[in-house]
Amino acid sequence: MTTTLQSSSNHPLADYVHRLESGGALLSESETNVMEVVGILKSYGVVLDAYWQNLIYIADHQFLELFPFFKYFNGEVSLNRLLRHWWHDRINYEYAEYCMRVMLWHGGGGLDTYLDSEAFRQRCQPAIARAIQNNWVVQPLHCVFPDFLPEQIRQSAYYSALGQFWKVMSKIFLDLSDEYDRGNIRTIAQVVQYIQDGLVADASLPITYAPIVKGQRQEIIPLEAGLTFLPDVAVPYVEAVFFRGTAFFGTVSYNAQAYQIPFEQDRFAYGALYADPLPIGGAGIPPTLLMQDMRHYLPDYLHHHYQQQRRGENDLRVKICQSFQKSMFCVTTAAIRGLMPHPLDTTILEERQANRSYLERWMDRLQTSCVEAVNQG
Amino acid sequence: MLSSLIWTPILGAVLIAFWPGLSASRSRWVAIGVTVAALIWSLLLGSQFDVSSVSLQFLEDLPWIESLGLSYQLSLDGISLPLIVLNALLTAIALWSSDSDIQRPRFYYSLLLLLNAGVAGAFLAQNLLLFFLFYELELVPLYFLIAIWGGARRGYAATKFLIYTAVSGVLILAAFLGLTWLSGSSDFIYNPLASQALSLGQQFILLGMLLVGFGIKIPLFPFHTWLPDAHVEASTPVSVLLAGVLLKLGAYGLLKFGLGLFPDAWAVLAPGLAAWAVVSVLYGSFTAIAQKDMKKMVAYSSIGHMGYVLLACAAATPLSILGTVFQMISHGLISALLFLLVGVVYKKTGTRDLDLLSGLLNPERGMPVIGSLMVLGVMASAGIPGMVGFISEFLIFRGSFPVFPTQTLLSMVGTGLTAVYFLLMVNRVFFGRLSKQAEDLPPVVWNDRLPSVVLASLIVAFGLQPSWLTYWTETTTTALLPHPAAAVVGTVQLSPHESVTLSSPLVSPRLPIPNPIEEN
Repeated sequence: MTTTLQSSSNHPLADYVHRLESGGALLSESETNVMEVVGILKSYGVVLDAYWQNLIYIADHQFLELFPFFKYFNGEVSLNRLLRHWWHDRINYEYAEYCMRVMLWHGGGGLDTYLDSEAFRQRCQPAIARAIQNNWVVQPLHCVFPDFLPEQIRQSAYYSALGQFWKVMSKIFLDLSDEYDRGNIRTIAQVVQYIQDGLVADASLPITYAPIVKGQRQEIIPLEAGLTFLPDVAVPYVEAVFFRGTAFFGTVSYNAQAYQIPFEQDRFAYGALYADPLPIGGAGIPPTLLMQDMRHYLPDYLHHHYQQQRRGENDLRVKICQSFQKSMFCVTTAAIRGLMPHPLDTTILEERQANRSYLERWMDRLQTSCVEAVNQG
Repeated sequence: MLSSLIWTPILGAVLIAFWPGLSASRSRWVAIGVTVAALIWSLLLGSQFDVSSVSLQFLEDLPWIESLGLSYQLSLDGISLPLIVLNALLTAIALWSSDSDIQRPRFYYSLLLLLNAGVAGAFLAQNLLLFFLFYELELVPLYFLIAIWGGARRGYAATKFLIYTAVSGVLILAAFLGLTWLSGSSDFIYNPLASQALSLGQQFILLGMLLVGFGIKIPLFPFHTWLPDAHVEASTPVSVLLAGVLLKLGAYGLLKFGLGLFPDAWAVLAPGLAAWAVVSVLYGSFTAIAQKDMKKMVAYSSIGHMGYVLLACAAATPLSILGTVFQMISHGLISALLFLLVGVVYKKTGTRDLDLLSGLLNPERGMPVIGSLMVLGVMASAGIPGMVGFISEFLIFRGSFPVFPTQTLLSMVGTGLTAVYFLLMVNRVFFGRLSKQAEDLPPVVWNDRLPSVVLASLIVAFGLQPSWLTYWTETTTTALLPHPAAAVVGTVQLSPHESVTLSSPLVSPRLPIPNPIEEN
């Protein structure tokens, strides 16, 4: 065991490595940053609360529904809701689906492995048989394309898993806001610690999936599959949504012919930590939907803060996105710290060096992210 | 009746200049009030205008300096009516878009009103000398407007403008004097038949002077060089008036005095004029492509688009002449819109450089409404159907093609080139990521947008319903042609006591038009 002093990092983002080693966060400390991060996480918590309920509803009640016209209605279809839906001044559940599909496409973690297993395939068969019984259109289709319906069930499983993940996160963010309102949260470090504690507390929460098929529950992901919250859903989510993402306007040209998009998925860097907030508000950009949703639930203090800035309400969604990106760096900090190979305060040089290597690997990935931009703004 | 269109702005200018203690804000509202009153008045005149008559309407004739042959004779016809309305509208818009905290506001608003009065007078004058006086009168306020409220090189631009347009005025005056003296007339009353007494050689010389004189004002290549400098240095409201109304004085003069007074010489020179038009169109368009300054690009675009007017005048068919008037109004509205929008971009970003701007269509941090209006403006300028630019260009090309097919086809290339340079501009300035310089722009308020929205609405309205404009103009433009498509028909039969018989491949073959002079 060696306990000598550790040398400085030579990494291009060495400042952040040192900051994380000393218990800091990727986002610098300031009162405004705390207010922005907590405020935006409060509105995000409200939106996530709606998202997870809809994801679970779709997963449980729209199982193998090939034309789910009213999937965003949570079972309450009325003319009023339909008009509101078309008016678009509503929760954009499409964003939740976008995140789900990003997870499904990038995969990773125990959930992805399980959904490719024989056990999953076997559990699909009775559910499919029950779902398509008396359906003379889909039955022959299933015979001709036997992989189609299992793939739909994989997607449903992701609906459910993401719903379960966001249910936990929504509560963490809303509780964090309550703590801030009570005066118990004053620094970015406290914000990160609060999120980290929340993630750790629910780390081993089981992830299961048993939709209702023609009035009967069908187990698709049983408890015995051993899937848990942190390694099988949270980490793949962070990887897929925060880091990899999908290419859309504002990340990089999505001209596939120009070979600007890497062929290997693991080299994708279009996630929430990398996206340019400026194009937010444009059509066809998934984050526009999220920012639009959060706009409805901003706490007064944060709304007032935005109104004081130069363009006031005019660029509200861009400002929300900038704050959101800050908050995502806090969540990422919590995830990075939660997954550290050794305790942060270890005095053993080998362990500190292992932590250093671990952090530098993360920083390698963050070199092209907006980490510098959020700390300048 | 017509005098009020001239004297009310002059009175307003005097009031603003000399009323003791008048604040900048009140000066502004007085000026806007005067021009809105003029606009309403000109619309009321339009409602009383007899579209079926080619005689001079609302005639006001007062002797002035009879020994010089100068009389105060004003009248309205189907060509001047829409131009009078355009003048009032664009002056109101220019006043509205002027900075409320402008330096020397009372002088500024007075000059704008004087400019309005001068232009109105020129469009209404039926006495050649009176036209010249008003034509010269508008130079003075415009010179000061560029020289005082212009950009860094305003002195140079204003002086260049003054020299060019003064030469233009001298040539026009010389032509008017020559026509009056050589025809043996004792006054300067506008008389389309005056040149009958002149030899063709004399007509060539006098028409040549008018062509150069009005060619400077329009402007046509190679007399155009004052225009880009004036536009670049002028403030946005002045650019709006310069492109929207003042250039039309040149086109109006060419139509009314060039074609109207010297039809025989015009018919002979027509092929050369059409070729000149092609050169001007292509030169303006190609030069616009090379520009890096948005305002310069729009200015060179004006040179190209005003070239169409010369082509249509050269062809001199009823349809092409109708297209000429339509193009004047169309270009007035479109160029005013484009200059307004460029002005907003400059005001908010501090630059017009195509290399520095990008992404201004950004919905949150950019200027999406301004960008959308710009897209509409450039589409109208490029002659996209549904907008006024399409109607005017279609009328001109359709009317000119039977007479000058090659020149018309070459001019049509200019329309394609318009799409090229304006798409380059729109693509660079409005699409892509918001440039670093433009990431934190001040917000655009509805005051900035309102004038552009008004112009854009008119551009679409006249594009969808062109008859709202042609209704007022068609009779006059048809009557203007003593021998339509003379280059094709080749015969001219006209005397003061005869009616004119039109023959054109594009209109009803025989339309008897009474002589306007005789009716009065």
